[in-house]
Amino acid sequence: MTTAVATSVARSRWRVAWRPRASHGTVWAVLLGAVALSLAPGLYMVGLSLMDNPQLFAGRIVPWPIHPENYPRAWVASNIGRLYWNSIYVSTVSTVLTVAVSALAGYGLGRIRFAGRGLVYAIVLVGLTIPLQIALIPLFMNLRLLGLINTPLALIGPYTAFGLAFGTYVMKGFFEGLPRELEEAARLDGAAEFRIFASVMLPLTRPALATVAIFLFLQNWNEFLFALTFITEGRMRTLPTGIYALLSSEFYGNYPILAASLVLFSLPVLVLYFFFQQQFIEGLTAGALKH
Amino acid sequence: MGPTSARQRWRRHAAGFAFTGPALLILAAFLLYPIGYSLWLSLHEWDGYTPRWGSFVGLENYRALAGDEVFWRATWNSIVFVVVRTPLEVGLGFLLALLLNRRLAARSLLRTLFFVPVVMSLIVVTIIFQRVYEPNTGLLNTFLTLVGLGGWAHPWLGDPATALPAVIAVSVWKNVGFSLVILLAGLQGLPQDVLEAARVDGANAWQLTLRVITPLMRPILALTALLSIIGGLKVFDLVFIMTRGGPTYSTEVLATMLYREAFELNHMGIASAIGVILVAVVLSIARVQAFALQESREGRTT
Repeated sequence: MTTAVATSVARSRWRVAWRPRASHGTVWAVLLGAVALSLAPGLYMVGLSLMDNPQLFAGRIVPWPIHPENYPRAWVASNIGRLYWNSIYVSTVSTVLTVAVSALAGYGLGRIRFAGRGLVYAIVLVGLTIPLQIALIPLFMNLRLLGLINTPLALIGPYTAFGLAFGTYVMKGFFEGLPRELEEAARLDGAAEFRIFASVMLPLTRPALATVAIFLFLQNWNEFLFALTFITEGRMRTLPTGIYALLSSEFYGNYPILAASLVLFSLPVLVLYFFFQQQFIEGLTAGALKH
Repeated sequence: MGPTSARQRWRRHAAGFAFTGPALLILAAFLLYPIGYSLWLSLHEWDGYTPRWGSFVGLENYRALAGDEVFWRATWNSIVFVVVRTPLEVGLGFLLALLLNRRLAARSLLRTLFFVPVVMSLIVVTIIFQRVYEPNTGLLNTFLTLVGLGGWAHPWLGDPATALPAVIAVSVWKNVGFSLVILLAGLQGLPQDVLEAARVDGANAWQLTLRVITPLMRPILALTALLSIIGGLKVFDLVFIMTRGGPTYSTEVLATMLYREAFELNHMGIASAIGVILVAVVLSIARVQAFALQESREGRTT
């Protein structure tokens, strides 16, 4: 036993002598290679957006000379201003609605023991895992019946609903974690339940609200299937389907313009990501880590 | 607190429903009602245009699917998608998380960069990769030629043999950062005293990783894998934009088949039946997930 320990200590001392350097080199090589792979496609897209067609067809990777005029052309060609506006409008309204409703529901589930609470929570959990494709046909039929196809409401309704399970789930977890004393002090003062929620508890959940809002906004901003099915008129499209429509339009032949549109689409989110990376990462992994 | 009166209890139930009421209403209208509607529709034959749903056909749509080669192809592809994607995504994510889980000067910067594909829109990613795979001037073939492997150049998305692997590769590329972040958080939450004890006992880096860290990480690895499985079964945008299920159904998955049956072929009943099957599969896997998580949680306390 003692000899085993002694040899292993000796071995580890021997390792200390050379190992850190060697393994550090390999680790760095692997990590940098992986980072390069993660970033290469995005950089390739930026490169393409600055080429002209002859450069593209020559199979060039680095654009030279560069053609920044692709950007104003893409802005006009893809009507991206309109797409931005539609996306911002639909995503913001749905996100605000979902955050408000899930804060209420999260409080109800997390802090009030009422009959039927288990059932409500079970519905939320089903909403968290179910493939939304199941709602596609029923929603389409009903939206058509109500004459809502090609209106912002056709997306705001479903987006609000389908973010709700996630929002409620995260908010419930957060409300559960708040200390009881706060609530009891307010209750002794005779505050009504809603007052306790709105003026005592809700202000404390600001970080969770931000997390949920970022996740939902990004999900709405990128949503494709419902936008593809419920919005068929070019003017009403959101960014993802608007960009998708370019693929089947005359601009497909002009790939650099398409690439410039993709960059214009991606830029706002990526800029926000680099400023608020902690919140983004927390928001996108919240569902997984809150277990 | 004193004994609660019946009135207080009643008020508590009422408050509970007042708070969860709006969410419940919305979920009922957009989730429960569509599920019921789809179940009902899956028992009918309907083109989507006649005012009411068409004739009741019982389980005929399910029987038709059972005899439909494309359906089995889509099911098989969905399974392959998940079975290939999940180990790669979790394995590579774990490897990178292990490498990042040390004192590196640029650790937080690297994590930020690895997460970029997760933040990027799937539509953008898909259109870029279409270009990367383009046979003549795409990045992949250009690169292969550049490093002298021109013989490997290939019409990746045009060949039924390579189309599905090519699509899976994009999915892995997009999601590795997600696994990485979850697993890195898990690694950083491991009990330091256990790791230190193993180190003092003379475990080398390999032994530490394989015998100590990996078993401790099993619950989080399982969670990451199951999230990936469920995500993989739901995949739509990626396949729809990149290949539309082609060539010759070689990348057709359940979600793209559902969309095609409903909105290109006007087979609302068949499409609804596919939706019902998809939901049944995902919910049963989620059930297994809940079970596995419970088990691992109980394992942790003992």
